[in-house]
Amino acid sequence: MDREVLRRLEKLNQLALTEEEKNDFLAFYAAKESELASLDAVDTENVERMVHVMPIYTVVREDVVIKKFEREDLQKGAPETTDGYWQVPRLVE
Amino acid sequence: MKEYEIVIGLEVHIELATNSKIFCSCSAKFGGEQNEHVCPACCGMPGMLPVVNRHVVDLGMTAGMMLGCHINRTTTFDKKSYYYPDLPGSYQTTQWFAPVAVNGTVKIKTSKGEKDIRIKQIHMEEDAGKLVHDDWTDTTLVDFNRTSVPLIEIVSQPDLSSAEEVVAYLERLRSLLRFAKVSECRMEQGSMRCDVNLSVRPVGQKEYGVRTEMKNMNSISAIERAIAYEAARHIDAIENGTEELVQETRRWDDIKGMSFAMRNKETAGDYRYFPDPNVMPVVIDDAWYESIESSLPEFPEKKRERYITELGLGEYDAEFLTESRAFCDAFEEAYAECGLAKEAANWLITNCMNLLNRKQMTADMLKINGRALGVLIKLVSDGTVSHANAKKILEVMFDEDIDPKKYAEENGYIVSNDTGKIEEVVKTIIAANPKSVADYKNGKEKALMAIFGQCMRELKGNCDPNVLRELILKNI
Repeated sequence: MDREVLRRLEKLNQLALTEEEKNDFLAFYAAKESELASLDAVDTENVERMVHVMPIYTVVREDVVIKKFEREDLQKGAPETTDGYWQVPRLVE
Repeated sequence: MKEYEIVIGLEVHIELATNSKIFCSCSAKFGGEQNEHVCPACCGMPGMLPVVNRHVVDLGMTAGMMLGCHINRTTTFDKKSYYYPDLPGSYQTTQWFAPVAVNGTVKIKTSKGEKDIRIKQIHMEEDAGKLVHDDWTDTTLVDFNRTSVPLIEIVSQPDLSSAEEVVAYLERLRSLLRFAKVSECRMEQGSMRCDVNLSVRPVGQKEYGVRTEMKNMNSISAIERAIAYEAARHIDAIENGTEELVQETRRWDDIKGMSFAMRNKETAGDYRYFPDPNVMPVVIDDAWYESIESSLPEFPEKKRERYITELGLGEYDAEFLTESRAFCDAFEEAYAECGLAKEAANWLITNCMNLLNRKQMTADMLKINGRALGVLIKLVSDGTVSHANAKKILEVMFDEDIDPKKYAEENGYIVSNDTGKIEEVVKTIIAANPKSVADYKNGKEKALMAIFGQCMRELKGNCDPNVLRELILKNI
């Protein structure tokens, strides 16, 4: 982790860190990186990839439509709506 | 100028034919009033948990098997970070580490012969919502109806090298997936979408050139145009230095016939994929796997061959029928009922197709009861109902599931064998048309047809034409 990577992460996560926070992060990652590097010593050849720490699997539901919510209720907390749309600041790609 | 080859890989998004969304019970139907098919889960309210729709996994597996893939029996969902209001959670739930299907092959046929296109993977994911840019208020309007509608993304290896191959590949995918009822694959409705990754390199060079990804092609012909344009742009940039090629996502504008840069291509790292902590791994046990495997349809080309060799259909008829699953199903049911393959094919290809055309429907929209069609064909072939009246019955069968025999009886469409009654009608018509009779006797063959037609009308078509003809000649 260096300042450039941190700057990119900041941008991708829509964060604005203070100089102090940045220094804290860099110190934190520097310490973690050496800890994580110790894992490289472990032989993981022929070890199956773990998908979850607990041996639990998902339940699935049947493909049935259930309508429980009305649009008006869902939009009650929205700052702006118009004609049933959520209205947000203009986005241009 | 050097000779260049085009290298193309495709990402094809297919909207799955489910009733409900992938992680919640909202309707997955196309269209509807804005934000009518939404709930707290698909509009990204905090604390909502996704529950996987079983049928999405069914269809993901089906697609994988149809394209010769290996099915991952433990398949997992991951979060792809994506900050844009068409996905309100700021991430898309997709599959990155263990997609449902991997390593398949699709065989295509082009003017240059057969070719195998390798499939890298098929993953299941949620669709994004729809954004409408409102110039009047200078804001963006968000509709979440499509958010969380289930998709599969079929990722090919960069094995395609021309627009012709791309078209053949897409048509093949569409045919297989429609056959297996995975999706309707309608490009104009967005249920089949395609991103084209394209680069060019001098023939013989091993390294790939700079790759661009093109989006927003709404038809197969638009894809052909986009590929031609983009390949020419790349070659021009390399040969003449007209511009610097960069790895980026571009938007195809079919009206202008040009592609435009949208954004610099994110790298996988920018998406920060990580296992979705809210969706546990999906484990496909043997029973589930086998139930899907045993429900796979016969491949269209196998069917075509069987129709020709076993049922004696001509090549054209077999080809026509096997272009649509709906036609195959109706044909096989009708044949099972009446045992007359050629007639069943004719009724579908001629009469049913005419009706579909008239209603501006496509072959896949055929919803006729195949068994009932078989009954109708039998009624015609044994002379119980005339061909003309059977066509009228077919029209009713198109909209309603009726018993054709009962309908024919109730509406007076059964051919009469009562020659006494027929003769009575013949005598009346002859008496009322002395001019036609005289014309016929003076050698005008056509005059007989006028009398024949009037008799048929009077008898409402319920008469064996040969019997009628004989009786007219006897009485004239």
